[in-house]
Formats: sequence, structure tokens, C-alpha cells
Amino acid sequence: MTDETDQTRTDGGGQPALPPDDKTPTWHERKARKDGLARLTYEYFERGRLEDQRLRQESDYIERDVLGFPTWPHETIRNLSIGSFFVGMIILLAATLPPHFGDEGDPSVTPEVILPDWYLYPAFGVLQLDPINPSLALLGGDKLVSDELYGVVATGVLVGVLVVYPFVNKGAARRPVEEPFWAAVGMVGLSFGFTISVLSIDQLVADRMTGMTAPLVFDLTFIAPVVIGVVTYAVLRAMREGYMYELNRRYYRLRPPR
Amino acid sequence: MADEFIKGLAIFSGAGLVWLIIAGWFRTPTFYDAQLFGPSPEDPDLLVELALTLADVMFWTAILGALIFWLIIPIGREAHAYYHERQEA
Repeated sequence: MTDETDQTRTDGGGQPALPPDDKTPTWHERKARKDGLARLTYEYFERGRLEDQRLRQESDYIERDVLGFPTWPHETIRNLSIGSFFVGMIILLAATLPPHFGDEGDPSVTPEVILPDWYLYPAFGVLQLDPINPSLALLGGDKLVSDELYGVVATGVLVGVLVVYPFVNKGAARRPVEEPFWAAVGMVGLSFGFTISVLSIDQLVADRMTGMTAPLVFDLTFIAPVVIGVVTYAVLRAMREGYMYELNRRYYRLRPPR
Repeated sequence: MADEFIKGLAIFSGAGLVWLIIAGWFRTPTFYDAQLFGPSPEDPDLLVELALTLADVMFWTAILGALIFWLIIPIGREAHAYYHERQEA
């Protein structure tokens, strides 16, 4: 199985006896086992390391022990050129694009549409969830909490979800294909952030887009993210195997020597 | 695949930038109506005519370039690989 038995190793030991490839404990087996867990964990990681080593030996890639580049001159020159590019881009656009000078505001007139700045639309949209504030038959159809309080509580719930999220998903995956479910959850969150923003301007959308009504915008606010999440999960799940294969092949088939 | 993506992105953003600048300069008469796609200036002189033509060329370069490098070339490669797989099998 191994072809590097008499190599000196940094951890002092020789090549460990690993079970054959098809006997690799799965994550669940490893989780279920209570005794010999240290040994099992060691095998688990040692297998990964060994596979890595074999792939490196098979590849015709030049191994270099460079972990990074020095600050001067490499990083500095690179950052300077990137910085110059963006500064130049800002100057170019500022010089060539005409600026928007809007009409003067009239302080004595209340605007027809009162809206916060665009980046506050999500929070503003959450305050408009009063259609799903449940009314109780027990109270004779009255609502348990006022719509205002309901909006504030809903904001708290959404912020709470954001706070809890990093504790639920530790984020071990580096790419969406590795964990399609969590990628789909992320897409649901992103698209809900967008649709809840649209909800805050539902009247504008209903006025300007044909076929759209305010109730339809309200329904789409919740339906669209779920649809997007399901599609994301299906696509990532379908492409996972081939994508990971291509990625590993690309990673290990590295530059040929000169 | 990644190379084709960055080529497409470079064409899209580079050509789009040129189009954006010219369209912002000549085809945005007011910010309260159509922007970037507004009416072209009446009786433009030669330079403005050239700039507007360049903007049109760049607009379609951005769209077609991205289409070609992001869709057509990858699809062609996939089809090619599939064809060869079928022939070998």
C-alpha cells in the first residue's frame, strides 16, 4: 500500500498501518465509536495527509517552500498598482460622468412617498409585516400585539437568526458546492433581504410594473426566496461531484518544470 | 473554465466602462427620465458621432463578448468532450 516506509518522519514514527481505502470510517462511524477514538481520529487525518502526499509525488509540480511574499518590494508594489488603478478609476468616472444635481427640496411640502435611504429598505420592509400579524379568535378577532410592536419583534427575530447562524453552521466549507444545504440557506437569506427591501416599496412596484399588485409583492416576498433556495440546492447538489473532481485535478495538476 | 470567465469579465467590464462613460456624457440629458439610453444629441458633430458609434460598438462588445466567453465557448467545449467520449465508447 505504501512506497515510502523507510522515510524519516517529523513525528518520529514510521508509516502507520492504515486500513485499506474501502474500510475508511465514515464520519458517522467515527462519531458513533466511543473507544479508541484517538486512534481513529489519527487514522482519519493521517489518511488525508497520506493521500495528499501521494498526489504530490505523482504530480510533476515543482514544490516550493514559499509561504508568502515579502512586504517590500512585492506586496507594496502590487498594492500600489492596485490602489493606483482604483484611484485612477475614481478620477476617470468623476471627470467623465455628469453629476446628478437634483431639484431643490421644498421644506414646506411633505413628499408624496416617504422612504428611508435604500440601504435601510430591508429594516423598513420588516416593519410592514402587519398582514401576517395573527389575530386571535379568542380575542374576538383582535390582534394580540399591535402592528407596530409586531414589526419591532419581527426585526428582533431576524437579527436573532443572524446572530445564531454562525453557531449553527461553523462554516467549514470553502465553496458552495461542498455544502449545498448551507449554500441554499445563504441564498434564501440573501434573496429574502432583497425581497423584503422590495416589500418596503411595494406601492411603487405595483404602480410601475404591470401585473404587480401590493398583495402579490407581499406573497412573492416569502415565496421567491424559498424557490431560489430549492433551485440553489438542486443545482449545487447536482454539480457537486463533477465540480469537486475537476477542482482537485486542477489543484494537483500543477505547472510542469521548465 | 476559469480563464474563459476572466476573459469574459474583462471584456464585459472594459467595454462596459467605455460605453458607460460615453452614454453618461451624451445620452443622459436629465436624471428624471431615461438615463444612459436617453435620446442622442441633435445634429451631433463628427467627434460626437464617432463617440456615439464607439459607444454602440462597446455596448454590443460587452454583451456579445460575455456571451461568447461565458456561454458559447464552454458549451462548445462540453459538446466537443461529449462527442469524443461518445466516439471512444
